[in-house]
Amino acid sequence: MLFQRLFLGVWLIAGLVMMYLALDYQAPFSYEPVGPRAYPMLMLGLMSAGLAYLLIKPTPIDHAHDEKPMDAPTARKVVSCILLLLAYALLFEPFGFVPSSIVAGFLFARLYGGRWLPSLVTSIVMSICLYILFDRILDVPLPLGILDGLEI
Amino acid sequence: METLNFLAQGFGVALTPTNLIIALVGTLIGTVVGLLPGLGPINGVALLIPVAFALGLPPESALILLAAVYLGCEYGGRISSILLNIPGEASTLMTTLDGYPLARKGLAGVALSLSAWSSFIGAFIATCGMVLFAPLLAKWAIAFGPAEYFALMVFAIVCLAGMAGDKPIKTLVASLLGLFLAAIGIDANSGVYRFTFDSIHLADGIQFVVLVLGLFSVSEVLLLLEKTHHGQDAVKATGRMLFNFREAKSVFLTNLRCAVSGFVMGVLPGAGATLASALAYMTEKRMAGEKGEFGKGDLRGLAAPETAIGASCCGAMIPMLTLGVPGSGTTAVMIGALTLYNITPGPLLFQNEPTLVWGLIASLFIANVMLLILNVPMIKVFTKILAVPNWALVPIIAIITSIGVYAVHATTFDLILMVIIGILGYILRKLDFPLSPLLLGFILGGLMEQNLRRALSISNGSMDILWSSGISQVVWLLAIVMLILPMIRIWRRRSLRRKAHMANV
Repeated sequence: MLFQRLFLGVWLIAGLVMMYLALDYQAPFSYEPVGPRAYPMLMLGLMSAGLAYLLIKPTPIDHAHDEKPMDAPTARKVVSCILLLLAYALLFEPFGFVPSSIVAGFLFARLYGGRWLPSLVTSIVMSICLYILFDRILDVPLPLGILDGLEI
Repeated sequence: METLNFLAQGFGVALTPTNLIIALVGTLIGTVVGLLPGLGPINGVALLIPVAFALGLPPESALILLAAVYLGCEYGGRISSILLNIPGEASTLMTTLDGYPLARKGLAGVALSLSAWSSFIGAFIATCGMVLFAPLLAKWAIAFGPAEYFALMVFAIVCLAGMAGDKPIKTLVASLLGLFLAAIGIDANSGVYRFTFDSIHLADGIQFVVLVLGLFSVSEVLLLLEKTHHGQDAVKATGRMLFNFREAKSVFLTNLRCAVSGFVMGVLPGAGATLASALAYMTEKRMAGEKGEFGKGDLRGLAAPETAIGASCCGAMIPMLTLGVPGSGTTAVMIGALTLYNITPGPLLFQNEPTLVWGLIASLFIANVMLLILNVPMIKVFTKILAVPNWALVPIIAIITSIGVYAVHATTFDLILMVIIGILGYILRKLDFPLSPLLLGFILGGLMEQNLRRALSISNGSMDILWSSGISQVVWLLAIVMLILPMIRIWRRRSLRRKAHMANV
């Protein structure tokens, strides 16, 4: 409940900051009665009102039937998963699709309880197959990155 | 008669070899995506948009692909419900209640084929309803001006909250966040940059593929972390694979009833398959009374939600095609896909793009037949896929999602934005905020603002135009009813609780 209130509070503050920013949005000259400011102001205002209500009277969280309460190991896993996702996103382009996917795929597999060897083999095979499938067959261009010189 | 001509024309489009293959591939991909835990129709459809683009598919073929994936996902979702007791997605939760006990009794094959049959009937009846009602609604919707559209969108948003049951405020806040996010980027009317923080990547707004995949795929990857114990054994589907005539007859009336109610729920904005299946199951259970074996493996309890899901999926396409207002999260994604093709869904679609609309409707018929036929021989393959462990599944989800996002603009910024949105989505899910209203709000936001501004431009700033016509008055009235409904429900529940409390004391 505390975390929920905290999150709602941050969200509300973000909404209010956005409203403050929106105050400046005015068209230099305009042909229509409603400028670019009204709509975001209206939405942010209603959202903030709803958030304020939730802050005062938070609804109890209805847990799914197979959900366990958050414990320290799970929390650690979630944080490392987020970091891994961010690193993958950052390295995707400069590092190239195949190398970054092999590394990220392997680490993901390990994080979700895969054993060393199967994880490694799966991620290598998967990355190369997905590259061929998307880049070569489906025409979705993917970055080669450090493999650029290989002329494949 | 005119309708039949159009339908024939549509079958002409859908029966071309390319489109038949596309529908077949779509149903297969959809079934696999639907049956994997954590992936639903929203992810499946969103992932295929960049692929459809890259392949240079014409809009009607792309829409056929997406619709086939949508139907396939709903078909696939029930396989894990019946064999594993784990709903493949939210809407098939009701299927587990009677499907799993049936599988435990050794009737897994019968349960699977019968649920496929029910789903087929539901989808078939709903598609017939679509053929009958969609052109009428489209004709009627041409009378809609910007003011009426604005009212309609307010109604759609309020409907979401009204249907959300016990958490109307959370739903409302989520959809308002979506409505706000749509305003990010350059304002088309005045050229003002809004909330871009001087980043060129945000100048044309948040790409909706980024939003969808972040909210639904990345957050799912994070949620799956808690379920690493997954490796549950599936019930083996042995013995009789096909249901017999007696079993089909025993659920036929259930099929008919649930198809109609599911169709209506599908057409209503915001209700969708989850609510339709829950309503169908509860109604059938009540109608069966003491005689039913609901919860212990009653065939009707299996047929009811499946029929309703099939029907509501097709029903949800009606508001999408005729009004341009999506009825569910998945149709919202499809609208986004159409806008990428520069096609604005709405009443004029039936006049301007008859091949697209009727081709889609015809291919819904075809995809349903395909799914029904595929179901029996392929079930062994599908059960194999269910055995894929999470550690192999998650990397695939993460990598394919990144490919889907990268394919749109080829920037690192979009990938990072997707992860951030995913984290936000994960927290929102943990806090019990529903995510599909957010998505619907995001899709409706741009339209809503444009229509509001257009309406007020017509009236030169006078607000009266928003409720001056008869149509808009009716829509506003409906919106007010939808607003009051949850309040009454909460108030009634509170007074009941108070009474129970008093009785205890």
